[in-house]
Amino acid sequence: MMIIPEDHIEQSLEASLDHCIKCNICTAACPVSAVTDLFPGPKYVGPQAQRFRHARQPSPDESVDYCSGCRVCNEVCPTGVRIAELNARARARLVAERGIPLRNRLISRSGLVGRLGAGPHAPIANALLGSKPLRMVIERTLGIAREAPLPAFSRYTFRSWFRRRRAPQIDAGTPKRQVVYFHGCSANYYEPWIGKAVVAVLEHNGFEVLLPRQRCCGLPLLSNGDFAAARRAHEENVAFLAPYALRTIPIVGASTSCTLTLKEEAPELLGMQSDTVRAVAQQTYDIFEFLRLLHMRGELRTDFRPIERTLPYHPPCQLRAHRIGRPALDVLELVPGLRLIETHAGCCGIAGTYGLKVEKYRISMDVGAPLFETVRRSGADMALCDSETCRWQISHGAGVVARHPIEILAEAYGLVT
Amino acid sequence: MRTTIVIGAGLSGLMGALALAEAGLRPLVLAKGQGATHWTAGTVDIWGGDERSPREALQEIGALHPHHPYALIGAHAVEEAIVRFRALTEAARYPYVGGLDRNILLPTSAGALRPAALLPVTMAAGDVRLGGTMLIAGFRELRDFYPPFIAANLAAQGMAARGVYLTIPPAFRRREYNPVTFARLFDNPAFCSDIGRQLRAQRGDATRIGLPAVLGLRDPTGVVAHLQDESGAQIFEIPTLPPSVPGMRLFALFQNAIEQAGGRVQIGSEVICGDGRDRLLTTVWSEAAARRQEHRVERALLATGGVAGGGIRTDHMGMVRETALDLPVRAPANRAAWFAPRFLDPQGHAIYTAGVATDAHLRPIGTDGAVVYDNVTVAGALLAGTDTVRERSRSGVSLATGWAAGRILAEWMA
Repeated sequence: MMIIPEDHIEQSLEASLDHCIKCNICTAACPVSAVTDLFPGPKYVGPQAQRFRHARQPSPDESVDYCSGCRVCNEVCPTGVRIAELNARARARLVAERGIPLRNRLISRSGLVGRLGAGPHAPIANALLGSKPLRMVIERTLGIAREAPLPAFSRYTFRSWFRRRRAPQIDAGTPKRQVVYFHGCSANYYEPWIGKAVVAVLEHNGFEVLLPRQRCCGLPLLSNGDFAAARRAHEENVAFLAPYALRTIPIVGASTSCTLTLKEEAPELLGMQSDTVRAVAQQTYDIFEFLRLLHMRGELRTDFRPIERTLPYHPPCQLRAHRIGRPALDVLELVPGLRLIETHAGCCGIAGTYGLKVEKYRISMDVGAPLFETVRRSGADMALCDSETCRWQISHGAGVVARHPIEILAEAYGLVT
Repeated sequence: MRTTIVIGAGLSGLMGALALAEAGLRPLVLAKGQGATHWTAGTVDIWGGDERSPREALQEIGALHPHHPYALIGAHAVEEAIVRFRALTEAARYPYVGGLDRNILLPTSAGALRPAALLPVTMAAGDVRLGGTMLIAGFRELRDFYPPFIAANLAAQGMAARGVYLTIPPAFRRREYNPVTFARLFDNPAFCSDIGRQLRAQRGDATRIGLPAVLGLRDPTGVVAHLQDESGAQIFEIPTLPPSVPGMRLFALFQNAIEQAGGRVQIGSEVICGDGRDRLLTTVWSEAAARRQEHRVERALLATGGVAGGGIRTDHMGMVRETALDLPVRAPANRAAWFAPRFLDPQGHAIYTAGVATDAHLRPIGTDGAVVYDNVTVAGALLAGTDTVRERSRSGVSLATGWAAGRILAEWMA
């Protein structure tokens, strides 16, 4: 079975190898190779090993499985080599050769796990997952590290809240603007308050929020090398979202890894190049990217109440991979009194599902150590971060509450969520 | 939103961004990746192309090369940039020493001698004119740094030197090493102490010990002091192959100073085009996921580097273009004139003088001499009229024109 089709993306990745001048700046920046010998660095497993990877030969380098997919290598490469994509595709090759372990099948299906755990029975599921003996059994049988930060299921889903709530009053005088909200698995099953904050902020700015059907963006599947399942996920999402994208209705998400997947990860890694796939990608915005765009056009409401606080802000790797700067900082600096300090401490280590795996848990904590230290040293009792798994990891490692910047913005608008 | 844009995060872009940030303009630095700082030795070469002192060369350059960037901005502007740069490094407790009066000769990791006007204090004891016997020490695990080879080449040039290998203490062994791995090891005092003891045991009659430039990322001057205490000799760093630890230190201290002054640095965002009207650049776009990111521009500083840095691209058809804003490039008219027949021709290769021509305010000009954009200044290796590799003026031109371009831009319509 051909998992990776021949496509022009594959060819452009191959071509980008020749731009590697072996300067090792990627290895110097790689947070994983800094803390473990199990991963020799992006240069070796990326552009270097790629020259040995051929269609009918076994994968030469298994250490690519220890790449966390944080994409810092892409960010720093001075010559534009697409190292992270090379690694992700190489991992998928390994998976195609060897099959997917049950553990990885399970943790990469965020939507399925969420559906099972969230709802009125959530307290039971949470109590079970909070039980140390049970976590020990799970670690032994499945290989999910017993200390790894698993989020608590919500007693209700965001979608059920959205369906039940009273329809918002939109001023008849203002032109009706619509926006699609892509909530992702985390806001739906674990953190519905973030979805509520997104809806509140968008409606406060005069938007009608639409909630078409959607499923998991497929990022955990991609990072676990299950490209076939990821393709099905993306095809479905494109089918759900394309009717809006083709009418140029923006698709906004507050889970920065979901938005990156819709924009780029899925199309590039899976070689999906149709016009509808591209239309969905081009209409997708990370929430603060969208709000910053509104502000640039003079359309963002700025009726903020002051918040006298100084907070550490961690721009997660998946946000940095959007290559859009720090939109949360740009927007939140409009709030009087609020001061955010960017952490500059690389990666939190979790990398989605990477840090959940028993053989990688220690690595993920070592990668995150400088960030945890920075957050602790800031003295603040709260940190901000745009990615859910990173927030869970920061809370786990630094022992402070980690929140999405949209929650602070909703607070500044005086919107109770 | 940020409308002062600096394109490029090498030394010239960072100096320019610092000038703009200190003027209160909250610059946004956009760069394709981590670049020149991480590639270069971390010294500042003002002029090393001949026997003259950098000061003499600066004062005389206008007579022979009126379009050289140094001539355009003037010697006083170069001195001003140096003063600011030294204050910056001193404030970060990583001071640079030296000056314009003479070049200091430093050993390279091939054992050749390289002139530098300014150098981090961690390299100061490497000045080969200091005399005495040198011990060159390294690690077998650090590739492309061979102490016996370096020592032999120094000895062949009349300098007493000996090369030895040190042993990595078992508790600190890794499987893969590069300069940064070592720098992190040297950040650990226990590692430093062990290395210091080895150096004392190996020292012999040496009064100075050269080590690869990997002596810590956090507090290199502290590491040098620690090693000097333990070993009883003067310690100095010799630059390695990339990634350059001294360059990484420089980048970090610049980023910190720029952000403290209200600027921001966005790495991984290549500027791919710009748009303007009436001699004003109004917008630039940087590459991003799914679509370009738009940046409105009030003023912009262009510091993307030359042919080697990626700011100028050439192709086999003989096209030479500036990659970010598509500015006119002054270059040999046809491809046959790019290169001299001999690889190491003392005259250099003409293509390396290719660049964007500017007026005295570092604004880009076209072939007709007219300014292309009033609100854009150009700095660093992208500038035409200099072969900085041959002149050994690369970081000096970057430092001086970066600062000057930032100051000029800050004052524009102030």
